[in-house]
Amino acid sequence: MKTAERQIVAFGGGGFSMESGNPLLDDYVLGLTRAERPRVCFLPSASGDADHYIVRFYRAFSAHRCEPSHISLFRREQGPGDLRRHLLSQDLIYVGGGSVVSLLGVWRAHGIDSILREAWEAGVVLCGLSAGSLCWFAEAVSGFHGEPKRLRGLGLLPFSNCVHYERGAGRGEAYHRFLREGMRGGYAAEDGAALHFSGEELSRVVASRPRARGYRLDVAGTRVVEMQIATTYLGDREAIPAAPLPEALSTAPAA
Amino acid sequence: MGFANGPIPKATAVRRILALGGHEFSSRPPDRAVCELLLRLAGESGAERPRICILPTASGDTSDQIASFYSAFGERHCDPSDVSLFRLGRRPLELRDHLLEQDLIYVGGGSMVNLLAVWEAHDIASILSLAWRKGIVLAGQSAGAMCWFEAGITKSSGRPLAAAGLGLLEGSLCVHYNNEPERRAAYLDAVGEGMPGGYGLDDYAGLLWEGEGAPSAVTARRGARAYRVSQREGEVAESPLPARFLPAPAPAALREDIAEFRRIKTMRRRAGWLG
Repeated sequence: MKTAERQIVAFGGGGFSMESGNPLLDDYVLGLTRAERPRVCFLPSASGDADHYIVRFYRAFSAHRCEPSHISLFRREQGPGDLRRHLLSQDLIYVGGGSVVSLLGVWRAHGIDSILREAWEAGVVLCGLSAGSLCWFAEAVSGFHGEPKRLRGLGLLPFSNCVHYERGAGRGEAYHRFLREGMRGGYAAEDGAALHFSGEELSRVVASRPRARGYRLDVAGTRVVEMQIATTYLGDREAIPAAPLPEALSTAPAA
Repeated sequence: MGFANGPIPKATAVRRILALGGHEFSSRPPDRAVCELLLRLAGESGAERPRICILPTASGDTSDQIASFYSAFGERHCDPSDVSLFRLGRRPLELRDHLLEQDLIYVGGGSMVNLLAVWEAHDIASILSLAWRKGIVLAGQSAGAMCWFEAGITKSSGRPLAAAGLGLLEGSLCVHYNNEPERRAAYLDAVGEGMPGGYGLDDYAGLLWEGEGAPSAVTARRGARAYRVSQREGEVAESPLPARFLPAPAPAALREDIAEFRRIKTMRRRAGWLG
């Protein structure tokens, strides 16, 4: 029987969607399944189930190393009839990027939100990038369209989340502002960095690029405290997983 | 009796919705006839260059649907645009302002359940309802036609099932009436079981609501029909509605030839070559 370790890997950005030729993050999530030929289901809902995206998934997750499938909620007549059964039989569920607002709307309409919670509790590894990262958290900073917005996610992880957390991208500033305005503390990840949670705890940060980092953000009074988290670069052959200890401490000034 | 002392009655905008049972944006005659009707409705605002915007949400904003829309309207005397909620990141625009400055908003086909879910997430329904009350024509085919009613029969989950719409129009609608017998059967069952009655629309049949009162039926293909579907004491009745035939305009290439001929004729007249 499968021991139900609940795992979520939230990419700030990366994997086959953004890093063609760099399979480090995708290999990492496949490895977590501990299955010889993991069953991997791609959920491209945030893209509106874009054909080209589905094709890219099948190229990256080819049948020689896993058993790939996808669910298109815009073409239900073609896919698996019983969504719940299909999703619960997977080793890994991979959520693509796009519009997190549209993603959550469509998921609710098809009952995917509650199935994913069930899958997580049953030990299916959940992962995704961008919108596919934000969705797992209680709160999220979405910068998909216009000004960054604050929104609610599925809430499997009781934190806030911000993706594509590159310097000068404007999201950092918005995230800090939201935190000062009462958003709960949480995690941010740069492109190439992924936050790996076991249960509701961050177990480590891994990266497909040597300099990509993850961050922990909290509010102390009116100040936002941002800590860079030690990150394991997956490209080092003898990489020893780093513990999530603060590597550097910076305190952002209050507004 | 008179209004001399009262406030001048404000002209209320005519609320118009065109619901189509099914069509494409191809160059085939019935598709051209549908486009001509959309252009005519958009032009009734008096705009010099009517603005027509497609919401391809129900398809997941597929490039196919968007491209065929532009190929149908791109060369015509109008200002076509698209609002793709899944692709806003690439082309930021003010949703509300953009939609409210249109003459006609066209909703494409696809998944009715996803259409309404995504609209709800982006708060589009209230904008469309306001657009309708302001006199902006609302139109659409398939899921994009059923969405305006209280209910429709959708295959969003694979097999035909009843789903709730926005409810701007009373009653229900079932599309692809002639082409999908299982959808029609599900509709007749649902109406028999208490779903509000309404209309069945074949592909290339349409219903046009203009202001208060009953809609008028149109058809762009001989034999395509609109039906009134109602229930009385458990019995469901379908009655075909008389429909006005929409002739197909000349294809684009021919239109250009005609325009060229007219230009030459005008030049000749100006030059005094013709009487």
